[in-house]
Amino acid sequence: MAALTLHQITKHYGDTPVIHGVDIGIRDGEFVALVGPSGCGKSTLLRMIAGLESATGGEIRLGGRLVNDTPPRERNIAMVFQNYALYPHMTVADNLGFALKLQGQPRAAIERRVGEVAAILGLEPLLSRTPRQLSGGQRQRVAMGRAIVRQPDAFLFDEPLSNLDAQLRVQVRTEIKALHQRLGTTTVYVTHDQVEAMTLADRIVVLKDGRVEQAGAPLELYDRPANAFVARFIGSPSMNFIPGRLELDGGPRVVTDDGLQLPLPQAPRARQGDRVLYGARPEHFALASAGDGEDGALPARVVVVEPTGAETQVALSVGTGGHDVLAAFRDRIAVRPGEPLWLRPQPGQAHVFDAASGTRLN
Amino acid sequence: MASTDAALQIPALDTASGARRKRPGRLRRHGRAAAALALLAATLFPFLWLVQLAFKPAADLFDSSLLFVPTLDGFRALLQGSFPRSFLNSLAVSTLSTAMSLAIGVPAAYALTRWRFPGRRHVALWILVTRMAPPIAFTIPFFLAYRWLGLQDTLLGLALVYLTFNLAIVIWLMQTFFEAVPTALEEAAYIDGCGVWQAFWRITLPLAAPGVAATAVLCFIFAWNDFFYALILTRTQAVTAPVAIVNFLQYEGWEWSKIAAGGTLVMFPVVLFTVLVRKYLVHGLTAGGVKD
Repeated sequence: MAALTLHQITKHYGDTPVIHGVDIGIRDGEFVALVGPSGCGKSTLLRMIAGLESATGGEIRLGGRLVNDTPPRERNIAMVFQNYALYPHMTVADNLGFALKLQGQPRAAIERRVGEVAAILGLEPLLSRTPRQLSGGQRQRVAMGRAIVRQPDAFLFDEPLSNLDAQLRVQVRTEIKALHQRLGTTTVYVTHDQVEAMTLADRIVVLKDGRVEQAGAPLELYDRPANAFVARFIGSPSMNFIPGRLELDGGPRVVTDDGLQLPLPQAPRARQGDRVLYGARPEHFALASAGDGEDGALPARVVVVEPTGAETQVALSVGTGGHDVLAAFRDRIAVRPGEPLWLRPQPGQAHVFDAASGTRLN
Repeated sequence: MASTDAALQIPALDTASGARRKRPGRLRRHGRAAAALALLAATLFPFLWLVQLAFKPAADLFDSSLLFVPTLDGFRALLQGSFPRSFLNSLAVSTLSTAMSLAIGVPAAYALTRWRFPGRRHVALWILVTRMAPPIAFTIPFFLAYRWLGLQDTLLGLALVYLTFNLAIVIWLMQTFFEAVPTALEEAAYIDGCGVWQAFWRITLPLAAPGVAATAVLCFIFAWNDFFYALILTRTQAVTAPVAIVNFLQYEGWEWSKIAAGGTLVMFPVVLFTVLVRKYLVHGLTAGGVKD
């Protein structure tokens, strides 16, 4: 096991820069998720850590040792690929034992270790099969087995769950978390699914266009996103944004062009009249009784009702300006599309971002 | 009873509903089959004619009747002459040139597939161009060079000539087979501890093995079928089977039984190999065209 440090990493494809000076420090045993939309450079970063791609600039250190020019096989890392990349011409046992065989370990030792790993992952009955005889979930497990069999310094996961169906995805996600708790190996996990990142990681690094937007603990990112991009990306359903103008006289609040008053807990780092984005998570709205528009309740019209069982999500059109807002209620409220509704945002939970740059202001 | 009734009813219903559409379809299908048979007969006729000739008694060789007592006299006569040696020469030359073509061409194809160096397309194209030049263009240079090098009338010399022609085929066919092997498998192998060579040897090559086999057979057949260079570059020692057969056309007379028997023997491995590998060969020529 080892700590992993990326210092000022850049990557160019020809003249096109794709990674612009990324710094990430990963502690020994930490589980870090790299998330971001497609093309943000997360997979490229992972492949650079693995040694499958070279970094154009910067330093990659694994356990303190500079590995920029070290070939993958000398980095002692293991990787789980998106499409599993199991060797189709080998049995499950041979797939699992391949790395050990390359190390020149004796046959008995390989068999013992493969047996141990198969037991951890429940692969014992499948050892003599070939990958094509396995289901998607089983292949996924073999790919993980191949990674853990040689006790590497770090695990790299490249969107490992994206080829599984929804139910299996949740199951394997739990298995990955349990595995990390059991083995405590430094892990870098790439995904575009923020739910995976939130549930698995000790720390999340949000990337966009080859830059780190924010890095922090999952709930830290959820509660205090550094900018509108992170705010929108982390959390499902995602945060609501209502554009407006900052009003500081008579209590800090955001006033929209159609006159909605959105109260803020304290004055943000901005001037009176600045264009801002008011952000509120779907669960931070409460129902208000009809007609008390005076104390900050917002008039809204129901567009779509989506009951999920645990909560009811209601898509609303708010104010005369028709701002799109999605609110989630723990209670099973009985409303129909077209009906009017009064919403009260919880002021303590409000976020404010600069309208132009997206930077957090409160 | 009931089952018979049902069996009778189903086709009745079927024709009632689809009669208008089916009849022209059936006609077209039969017409197509008949055309295919006619084409097949025309194509196979020389081949079958030669084979029956090989088994005919020498006395009624040109008797047009298909009724005869098959004899192996032609084959027996072949065995007594120098034909067996020529046959072995053919085998040796074809095997040797195939082995050399694969040894050089397979790694070359791999490099062309995976290594994105500048000018890669040009290199690949110029390799193919070597195959396009007419053989006659190289005859005199080869002849003179071989005389000087002492490679004339040697098995190695002939195998080297075939190598130059087969390399292009190996490199082009194997590229499609290597492209069909996902790079992620090699990357997984690098991470598992392989170097480039080990990943190639342990992962990529085994997965491309059917392609290698098909390519090998194709190379073998090209070398095996060559008549032109074998005629020019051999005299007595390295004569191959096709040349030996032509030598049965002599001033004293044409030994038809031997020619037919020899021709049949020379064709045999080609037919056998083609049947064995046609599946892989078609795959190799079309791989990558359709997403699996």
